[in-house]
Amino acid sequence: MPDVTITVDGRSFSVPAGTNVVDAARMGGIAIPVFCYHPRMPAVGMCRMCLVQVGMPKLDPATRQPLMDAQGQPVIALMPKLQTGCTTPVSEGMVINTKTEEVQFAQKGVLEFLLTSHPLDCPVCDKGGECPLQNLTMEWGPGQSRFDYNDKVHFEKPVPLGDLILLDRERCILCSRCVRFQDELADDSVLGFDHRGRNWMIVSKSDPPFASKFSGNTTDICPVGALTTADFRFKARVWELSSKPGICTLCPVGCNLNFDMRHDRLMRVMPRENGAVNDIWLCDKGRFGHRFIEHESRLHAPLIRHGDHFVEASWEEALTLVAEKLAAVQSARGGSAIAGLAAPRLSNEDLYLFQRLFREQLGSNNLDHHLGSPDDGDHDDLGGLLAVGKGTNLMELGAGTTVLVFGADPEEEAPLYLLRLRALVQRGAQLFVANQRATKLERSATQALRYSVGGELALARALVRELLERGAAERIKLKHSGLDALRKQVLAQTPEQLAAAAGIAHEQIVALATALLEAEHGLIMYGAEARSAGLALIETLGALAVLSGNVGKPNSGMIALLPGGNSRGALDLGVRPDARPGYVLMPQRGLPAQQLWSAARDGHVRALWIAGLDPAACLPDAREALTAAEFVVVQELFMSETARMADVVLPAASVAERDGTYTNAERRVQRSRAARAPHGQSRPDWQIFQDVAQMLADMMVLPHPRVEAEGAKPAKAAKGAKTAKGQNEQVVTRPPEPPRWDYLTPDEVAAEIAERVPSYGGVTYEALAATGNPGVWGRQANEAVFYDGTSYENTEGIGIALPSLISTGRFTLSLSPRPAPVVKDERPLLLLAQPLAYGGDPLLRGSLLERQLAQPAIVISQSDAEKLNIQNGDRVRIVSAVGELSAAARVHADLPPGLVMVPAGLPGLCLSRIQTGPRTRVSLVKVVV
Amino acid sequence: MPLSEYIIMRELNHPDINQFAVYRRVGGWETYAAALREQTPAALVQQVKDSGLRGRGGAGFPTGVKWGFLPKGVYPRYLLCNCDESEPGTFNNHQIIDRNPHQVIEGVALSAYAIECHTAYIYMRGEFASAALLLEQAIAEAYAAGFLGKNILGTGYDLDIYIHRGAGAYICGEETALMESLEGKLGQPRLKPPFPAVEGLYGKPTIINNVETLANVPRIIEKGVAWYRSHGTEKSPGTKCFSISGHVNRPGNYELPFGVPLRELIESPEYAGGMRGGRPVKIIIPGGASAPWLTAKHLDTPLDYEGVAAAGSMLGSGAVIVLDDSVKAPHVAYKMDEFFKHESCGKCTPCREGTHWLVKVLHRMAEEGHGEANDIPTLHSIYRQMEGNCFCLLGESAVMPIKSALELFPEEFEAIVKG
Repeated sequence: MPDVTITVDGRSFSVPAGTNVVDAARMGGIAIPVFCYHPRMPAVGMCRMCLVQVGMPKLDPATRQPLMDAQGQPVIALMPKLQTGCTTPVSEGMVINTKTEEVQFAQKGVLEFLLTSHPLDCPVCDKGGECPLQNLTMEWGPGQSRFDYNDKVHFEKPVPLGDLILLDRERCILCSRCVRFQDELADDSVLGFDHRGRNWMIVSKSDPPFASKFSGNTTDICPVGALTTADFRFKARVWELSSKPGICTLCPVGCNLNFDMRHDRLMRVMPRENGAVNDIWLCDKGRFGHRFIEHESRLHAPLIRHGDHFVEASWEEALTLVAEKLAAVQSARGGSAIAGLAAPRLSNEDLYLFQRLFREQLGSNNLDHHLGSPDDGDHDDLGGLLAVGKGTNLMELGAGTTVLVFGADPEEEAPLYLLRLRALVQRGAQLFVANQRATKLERSATQALRYSVGGELALARALVRELLERGAAERIKLKHSGLDALRKQVLAQTPEQLAAAAGIAHEQIVALATALLEAEHGLIMYGAEARSAGLALIETLGALAVLSGNVGKPNSGMIALLPGGNSRGALDLGVRPDARPGYVLMPQRGLPAQQLWSAARDGHVRALWIAGLDPAACLPDAREALTAAEFVVVQELFMSETARMADVVLPAASVAERDGTYTNAERRVQRSRAARAPHGQSRPDWQIFQDVAQMLADMMVLPHPRVEAEGAKPAKAAKGAKTAKGQNEQVVTRPPEPPRWDYLTPDEVAAEIAERVPSYGGVTYEALAATGNPGVWGRQANEAVFYDGTSYENTEGIGIALPSLISTGRFTLSLSPRPAPVVKDERPLLLLAQPLAYGGDPLLRGSLLERQLAQPAIVISQSDAEKLNIQNGDRVRIVSAVGELSAAARVHADLPPGLVMVPAGLPGLCLSRIQTGPRTRVSLVKVVV
Repeated sequence: MPLSEYIIMRELNHPDINQFAVYRRVGGWETYAAALREQTPAALVQQVKDSGLRGRGGAGFPTGVKWGFLPKGVYPRYLLCNCDESEPGTFNNHQIIDRNPHQVIEGVALSAYAIECHTAYIYMRGEFASAALLLEQAIAEAYAAGFLGKNILGTGYDLDIYIHRGAGAYICGEETALMESLEGKLGQPRLKPPFPAVEGLYGKPTIINNVETLANVPRIIEKGVAWYRSHGTEKSPGTKCFSISGHVNRPGNYELPFGVPLRELIESPEYAGGMRGGRPVKIIIPGGASAPWLTAKHLDTPLDYEGVAAAGSMLGSGAVIVLDDSVKAPHVAYKMDEFFKHESCGKCTPCREGTHWLVKVLHRMAEEGHGEANDIPTLHSIYRQMEGNCFCLLGESAVMPIKSALELFPEEFEAIVKG
């Protein structure tokens, strides 16, 4: 947009044409008060708070040139009425007056009107102290009310709009921000209006009420205390709170948040602005799902098993026991008899030290961050290798961007992406959603591609084929291999054959390929359903990104939605059996989680250290293995099923009780700070690892420390290792001195990571603190006055986006294709473990979301239900090659035939008992009672 | 003098003009049929433009000019016939339909053809149940006679007309709120621009005209521009169906050429027949409740858009409410603003809160007879805080009664304050 020059209150400056008057004035540092206007939503001009005087230069009718007065100044024709600034776009020469008597009279008038119906119960209102109505009244309002107090309207209050949000109708000024947020941004049209005039009121239209994963945001953008959360209501006065910047680890988005603390108690969680990550929003899981931090059942002291019960112990005692036992196993049976699992929500510092402890002090590569469940799947390397490049910022994207979301359900796997992708579309990006079933994101798609069940690989190959046909291969600038094999594979089938196998019209395939090819920026996001199709699919999607030229540059590349808040960190930092930090492949791989349980059961693995994962909850094999093992250490927040089977239980500090960094799905490293002292005697994970490592170092010296590092081979030699697709070409000739175990703070660990892991170079705590450009939602020009109580300004750093591995030039991309996974099972249906935001995550305990957790159900299509004579609510049994389970059936109108969907992660419905791998074929039987 | 020939109330005295066959016999639907066969839409638009026909809904905007705002080449287009007639004092639409629904349907059909639209809606005030039934029947008869539907009269032109009944909101007579309501949404005005002609119903170019406006169209096309312009004044050509009510002897609808003096409408035995009981005129509200008040000194004002505007009010919907000296101005203002308060949609602050507050004060003064020292300055500032600052004209309209009452009869307010 070209700039135009405007004059606001006598000051002239330039702003982009088309900007509305409120935003334009703000750019010049002049505040125009607003209530209904919100910069993230189209203006509606309802509240009339932003009335200003607007004038345009008078034009000579003949020449269309501005008329000049005697002083050579343009003659200004003022509009006859005041205009709402939010709905008036600026144009060249526009004159705006925000402080004339007329404007002030109108502004004061609107505020007086709003206050006539307002209960003025600020002393008991949660919004008090961060309330735009309070602030605007102080700044622009009348000093006192002339309205007779006895004439005030009274309503029953509060009215629950759902489990989470309460409405105080007396305080509501009917700005409709909440309704519009739900309609336009969240795509959950669950709020609406009822009645009219002074009785106009917000209501929830959905059943269950206010069914949206983003409902908490409405309380932020509510400019008064009308919407409050059940979570924070009457908990504290906002001026008593101190905000501690944190990162949400409940999903891979890595939303920036603030833990609002009163002394040592968590009062609420609020979003913290980061344009590149969560903008100013937070999903309800992030906002309400952090009550686990203060849950009464948190472990508070180390526990040592004595027979069939635990006895509290000192850290010294517990850690010594752990060190001695591990040392004993190590010296008797070697490092391969010890294994460790660490949750993909632990911080980078924890994960890095965990693998160092195992590799350097215990000589073990039996490391993983997976659960060891049959559907673990392969480690996702492409999301790192072809990650969106350094400098990526979704906020900057719009027209010219093509996004392909493949086999993912962002609303459930990474809720905030739903908002971000919708915003992208609203700014002009093209969104293609490819899935075998309906997802909420699909409704926002420019084009939806509903591939047939099992047709995803054919679709991906059809797309690759289309690109190859168009000569895309000649334009690849990256180091690559295997192109001929890829070409041979995809050309083996005609476009028509592939389209038929995918169940997608050829024209749609061409349209998507074209959109990716022509895009200035291309993003390919994939989730659990895509990953369950195996690396054959993921790597074909990778080839798609490469062939369409959408890798190795900012705002382009792959985004993998992986479980947990830091799977990417775990992959980057080597908590895996096959690679050291930085994807340095190991010649001798350890056991992946999946093979761990049989190895332990058979006595090959004798000691296990499990940090933050609970395999025993759902995996019979794991229970068996834990029983068989000689020594089990569990490091946890809670007495989990796995912890119950441990010999030593170590209480870990939660995310809010320690500093740490986390790497999100876009490979942005962000720092979270300690908001309070660790619960009880709990300690940060990194510290526990370090303490044991130190003891081990004092106790024993491994014969060949760092043996793996010296053995690291250049890329070509590591041919057999398939998991890490990108292969390191850097030959480690002289391993650096192993660092000592004397970190005082996690930033020293981070500094070491920055030094030793190439792609994390420069990611120090100091660098992470940089905030870059001030946020769009920042506090310039008196903005606190309007936006108080909403998202927090980010003064604690917006994180550092790592370069994609491919752009470092140290990796070669292999395009050589894998064969499609062979299905030997003849059972008619495909089992889909549906990832759910409110699934069985144990971290949701103690939160209001517990009431919204998914209920066990077996979801089937209409046509399969008819075929099997199954009605909603019937008891049905799923039978696979390895087991069966039963639950109530739910018939879903929009599920394709051939698919059985079961909520993943529910403790009462252990899918792992029937799973045969990432993909399980099943049959369905109606249980006749 | 009564008109020799009525335009809107065509065949005024024919007892069975509401029968389809009778309407056909007097030439009904012939203009439409001929226009479809012989005239281009553009030619029809030009004739309406040349006729100077002005919108009868209240603003008096030239209808042909409005039709000309349709962006070229953008289809589908919609025609909406506004029959939400809810303005206090306005009741001509209902009677026009009651008397002769066919002329309205023919007007809608002819106008739809002129603007190249294939779907027209008649948005009816919900309470007009009987009128809606009459229109439904008239539409059915028109379909049966081949004037509506597909390939009408073999010309290839398709047109469907639908009746939609509102659910009882004055605001739905506001054109954009009407569209929201028609789309199944909450009846509230939309932000303008975009204007309906560019982005209206379902986001498509839309023309919205009052029943009375469209009822003029067949006659204009039939008899020609010159004939039409021979009625009324230069700037307000044609006739107007005035609804006169209040303290007059013969309240009702009277079709008069524009420009007839107000006095004639009120006093002529052909029309309202003078004031009830011969009492003096105190308040004249010439254009529905939204119009500023006039008084007895304005009796010689000519009833056309320019004349009434010159007198300081507006012709509006042509609903003339005449009140005699038995009423108190604060009470009239209270009743009028009570209406606006009841009908305020709530969308914008000044209207929602301003009408509420005005009525609180006026109720206390007018109904309870209790005034407070600050009441008069407060009333002045409430309406000033509303005036020019509301989202749509409803709030602006609510200003008129209280502003007029305070300006014209301040002593009546002062008397209440003094007790």
